[in-house]
Amino acid sequence: MGETFNSLMMGFSVAFQPEVLMYAFFGCIIGTLVGMMPGLGPLAGISLLLPATFGLNPIIAIVLLAGVYYGAMYGGSTTSILMRIPGEAASVMTCVDGYAMTQQGRAGPALAIAAIGSFFAGTFGVIGLMLMAPTLASFALRFGPPEYTALLLMGLFVLAYMSGGSMLKTLAMAVLGLLLGMIGIDVMSGYTRFSFDIVELGDGVGIVPVAVGLFGISEILLTAGQVDPPKVQQPTLRQLIPTKADLKLSVGPIMRGSLLGFMIGIIPGSAHIISSFVSYGIERRLSKHPERFGNGAIEGVAGPESANNAAATGAFVPMLALGIPTGPVTAVMLAAIMVHGILPGPMLIQQQPDLFWGFVASMYVGNVVLLVLNLPMVGLFVNLLRIPYAYLYPCILAFCILGCYSVSNSTMDVWIMLVMGGVGYVLRKFGYDLAPVALGLVLGPMLELSLRQSLAMSGGDYAIFVQRPIAVTMLVMGLILLGLALKPLIFKSKDWRSSVGLDKTID
Amino acid sequence: MKTFASTVYLGFSMLIWASCGLAQAQQFPAKPMKLIVPFAPGGPNDILGRLVGQKLTEQWGQQVIVENRGGAGGTIGLEAAARLPKDGYGIAMGGTSNLAVAPSLYEKLSYDPVKDFTPVINVALVPYALAVNPTVPAKSVRELVPIAAKKAGYLSYGSSGMGSMSSLAAELFNAMAKSDVLHVPYKGTAPALTDVVSGQIDMMFADLSLIKPHAAVGKLRTVGVTSAKRVVSSPEIPTIAESGLPGYDISPWFGVVAPEGVPKAVVTRLNAAIASSLKSADVIQRLGALGYEPIGGSPEQFTATIKSDIGKYAKIVKTAGIKADL
Repeated sequence: MGETFNSLMMGFSVAFQPEVLMYAFFGCIIGTLVGMMPGLGPLAGISLLLPATFGLNPIIAIVLLAGVYYGAMYGGSTTSILMRIPGEAASVMTCVDGYAMTQQGRAGPALAIAAIGSFFAGTFGVIGLMLMAPTLASFALRFGPPEYTALLLMGLFVLAYMSGGSMLKTLAMAVLGLLLGMIGIDVMSGYTRFSFDIVELGDGVGIVPVAVGLFGISEILLTAGQVDPPKVQQPTLRQLIPTKADLKLSVGPIMRGSLLGFMIGIIPGSAHIISSFVSYGIERRLSKHPERFGNGAIEGVAGPESANNAAATGAFVPMLALGIPTGPVTAVMLAAIMVHGILPGPMLIQQQPDLFWGFVASMYVGNVVLLVLNLPMVGLFVNLLRIPYAYLYPCILAFCILGCYSVSNSTMDVWIMLVMGGVGYVLRKFGYDLAPVALGLVLGPMLELSLRQSLAMSGGDYAIFVQRPIAVTMLVMGLILLGLALKPLIFKSKDWRSSVGLDKTID
Repeated sequence: MKTFASTVYLGFSMLIWASCGLAQAQQFPAKPMKLIVPFAPGGPNDILGRLVGQKLTEQWGQQVIVENRGGAGGTIGLEAAARLPKDGYGIAMGGTSNLAVAPSLYEKLSYDPVKDFTPVINVALVPYALAVNPTVPAKSVRELVPIAAKKAGYLSYGSSGMGSMSSLAAELFNAMAKSDVLHVPYKGTAPALTDVVSGQIDMMFADLSLIKPHAAVGKLRTVGVTSAKRVVSSPEIPTIAESGLPGYDISPWFGVVAPEGVPKAVVTRLNAAIASSLKSADVIQRLGALGYEPIGGSPEQFTATIKSDIGKYAKIVKTAGIKADL
């Protein structure tokens, strides 16, 4: 413990060097701005900034990029809450209740809770990273394709708790998402599916253009179709601050979200995306009033937002302890230090202690910076809503197109976004919930790949899933969850949906 | 008389035209340039592309804008590069995968690596190596071959996708060792290598620079490099060819190409500038830290490499029976 403390102090001495501190601050600001751009998320942000770090020293480079990373996670929630535009897959769930709160004139509390939750989750994650990185990393390595398959299956079962509409509609939307996920090159065989000779579709349909289209563009279209333009909001100072009741409701979701996000985040692979979906599902299941979800429940903002920030920090565990990237974002960050001739690997902490501890310390600093930066800004952000829609929405549309294009300089992404905007418009007119589409699109390709990898490993033998303890445990838990969801169907008892009057649409 | 006058006129205009071309080459570059990197930021192609861009800027004082156009195994970016203006202001960083392997792998490839491009210079060799999980009881390729060939599917290998360099290297191994090591494809090199480290799968062909840190602490065992010659930065690692599979050679390179039709003088100028920077101390040091080996040479040499590698990989793809469409 003493050693950790000394190392941390050494880390702070690195992090408080004026130059490092300045770049950490820069990173947070740039990240927040990037995150607020519709369609631009953390990955796009750090990919665009990576070249700029080549001239800096490796510690500063990684501190800057980390700042951009969690800054963008914070910033992403702002556009999700205010405009229903997710900057990245992880903020899709925030759009649902966060935007509903905005429409009720409660954008302030939603933004504040998102910032507080993110701060708590980020700090929790850094402490976990600092104290247990090597232990956790070796645990993370026990996740192979079979365990991954089991984890993703559990993610699928969460669907049952995800949307407020009828079960049939929820499943239909999930299937739509899964089908969209089929498009692109099949990694196992090298053949393309459903790409209609469009080369760009070979890499599949990205979640960001789909999410921005389904949620953001459809909202703009729906607003344009209203007879009376929506009233421009005039938030008062009082409305900006979360009430005591808000805070009380959020404590549980923030704690659970942080723990859940961190655990999912340390697993190599892109599973961290599902952390916010799972958190939302859990909060809804645990809530005494599940009917409030989807209509502006603050827990629906607190849980997922904490989960995605904790997952972002969790992703650094295998990256720093083992030199293994957990996903595209950490891969780019590793590239940033590789450029400087540091080969990331299991010896990174021992060989580059000032890099590791400086990084950890800078994350404490960064989290505080973001909280200090974001809480007072809530008022400013909310005032964006004062802009009349006739001016606001065309600007947002332009930003959506810009953001979407700049991620990979592809006009195809822009088309996907616009088409999905139209699809989202029609689906919402018919009362479909869109979050399951996003979950399906995220889960589908990952689930297919890990299932087929597992079977390739075992030579086609399904027993691989029951021979491995972690996989078995998770599958059993998943089955119990599924059983609970099916129970009302089998025993004809009342589901929570009908008991709270949600399943009226099914007739 | 009339014909004489027109001949003179024609002669003059040709002279003017020729001197214009010469002057153009001497003034080149007179405006910012664009370099397409056909992969997402972070990989060897990106690192080398940005290094070349930076060096050209330093030498000529003209900004070189690096543009990442990733997707479809590096073929989308090269397709865009083939359509750049033929003035030399737009160039791209190609590699073995999208210049030499792609033609035999993809039936509907949208460009012809030989006809659509003017090779400028081969920049660097990025060494590949075969790593196994330490639980595999083989210290060398010679010991590995009988284990791999003993039973079909006894060992498994990871790759960054069907048709990727890592899968080709493994399929060449399978063909030459008469083994049947199971293929488990991943989406990218990093997740596959992670699963070799953790022992989910047994072996993988990957960039030596990614394997090295894990091998240093005994999490992976490097049994051989894939190139015909030993790697300068790691001379202690034997080649696969010298340890049991004579003739085995996979040497992935990355080089700069311009669209077809760029004036020869401009290509020469680009080649000279990049070649001289490849000899500078800081480039040697930066590439050395990653284990990359500068290649250099003339445009003609690069053309010959591309052509011979296209033939070589066509054979490997055919032997391994790999097919993919785009």
